[in-house]
Amino acid sequence: MTFSTMFSTMAIGMLRSFGVFALTLLGSMPLGMIVALLKKSRFALVRVVVSAYISLIRGTPLMLQLLVWYFGPFYLFGMNIGSWRFPALILGFVLNYAAYFAEIYRGGIESIPVGQYEAAEVLGYNRTQTFMRIILPQVIKRIMPSVTNEVITLVKDTSLAFTLAYQEVFSLAKQISASQTSFMPFLIAGVFYFVANYLVEFVMGRIEKALDYYK
Amino acid sequence: MILEMKNIKKHFGDHEVLKDISFNVDKGEVVSIIGPSGSGKSTLLRCATFLETIDGGEIVYMGKHAARTNAQGQAVYVDHKELREFRGYCGLVFQQFNLFPHYDILKNLIDAPIHVQGRSKEEATATAMDLLGKMGIADRANAYPYQLSGGQQQRVAIARALAMKPQILFFDEPTSALDPELTGEVLKVIRQLADEHMTMVVVTHEMPFAKAVSNRVLFMDGGVVVEQGDPHDVFDNPQEERTKQFLRVFER
Ligand SMILES: Nc1ncnc2c1ncn2[C@@H]1O[C@H](COP(=O)(O)OP(=O)(O)OP(=O)(O)O)[C@@H](O)[C@H]1O
Ligand SMILES: [Mg+2]
Repeated sequence: MTFSTMFSTMAIGMLRSFGVFALTLLGSMPLGMIVALLKKSRFALVRVVVSAYISLIRGTPLMLQLLVWYFGPFYLFGMNIGSWRFPALILGFVLNYAAYFAEIYRGGIESIPVGQYEAAEVLGYNRTQTFMRIILPQVIKRIMPSVTNEVITLVKDTSLAFTLAYQEVFSLAKQISASQTSFMPFLIAGVFYFVANYLVEFVMGRIEKALDYYK
Repeated sequence: MILEMKNIKKHFGDHEVLKDISFNVDKGEVVSIIGPSGSGKSTLLRCATFLETIDGGEIVYMGKHAARTNAQGQAVYVDHKELREFRGYCGLVFQQFNLFPHYDILKNLIDAPIHVQGRSKEEATATAMDLLGKMGIADRANAYPYQLSGGQQQRVAIARALAMKPQILFFDEPTSALDPELTGEVLKVIRQLADEHMTMVVVTHEMPFAKAVSNRVLFMDGGVVVEQGDPHDVFDNPQEERTKQFLRVFER
């Protein structure tokens, strides 16, 4: 196998890895905000459920969670899981990352001085306006470093999709390496992850700079 | 009468912070509130501006009840929508300024008028620039709060409150967070507002200022109004022993 066929075979895996990455972010970043707000709900039951969800997610390996989401429906309900692989994968990733993002958001929201809420209240902003106009923009600035960390972890975590035999770049690297007795696929995969994270850092750095106009 | 606070009671847990406090503020009047730390001055302002809810008593703005006490002795407020209207009557200037750091100075002044009061951007901007001019900081309209000195920030906070065109403006120790050399510029602005007959209630430890600017002084201690009256009477000829004791600390 030449380098270029090897690379083009793996390029499909790279696209799939990117797909997992993008869908996870798209799902977990907003969901995390909902979870963070639910954790401050007026209703004790909601708070308990949300806290349990967060500690369960954080207390078990993502790999295990992926297996549960994939095989669970079969063992529990005898569901046909033939076409369930990809949905289960994304579900597992989104629910996992939403829990981590929720904790980041919550920390950010709680770090905003109470005086900001009071100033907004006296000026007559309603709750939604206060959150959207006053609190959230400041939260976003404060949590950027933590979010960057989380996104970088996600880039690397996409390789866990191999647990469900999803053919992303890491699974392919292993297969091709075994069949071709070559080390090259791992190098290609390594460079892929590295470059991806370099881009992440670059983009996030840009965003952080753009938010640097105030302190 | 702009504001009547009648028999206000407020407790946190089993700590009675306000015990039956009553006072009025007439249109154009400047009332100073003095008193030792923990006497409930901030709590009183926070009740008047609806940041805290009272447990008993009445809050009346312009003859309309915002809160009254029912037959069971509990305070009941008007509903949410009506309360918004009452909020519009009063402004509050905080000790810590509490400007919005992500908005520039102009936006700090026009955001609420536009998005809360539904005023036009042009009108709100004109009003804001006018106020900044009066505060002597028109040239900083496009700066961000962190780029301003404490004294400038507090003047912006005053302008932000005035931009809402309140009937009455409350100040909670507006100069306490400032370096001594910066208090003058803020007091000057408040004095100027007093000259224009802005209705104001000022909690302060600046006794000479209180004496010079206010029409009436309230001395609070332990959650009650111990003494109130003309500033010259209260400062130069206090009747109550506690007032005398308190004022002695400020003389040297
Ligand atoms: N949210 C709260 N929960 C519990 N206790 C409170 C709360 N706010 C105020 N207190 C208590 O109420 C009392 C009066 O507080 P307040 O802030 O009104 O006093 P103050 O006269 O403004 O004092 P200072 O001059 O120090 O600002 C204090 O004993 C304070 O600890
Ligand atoms: Mg106080």
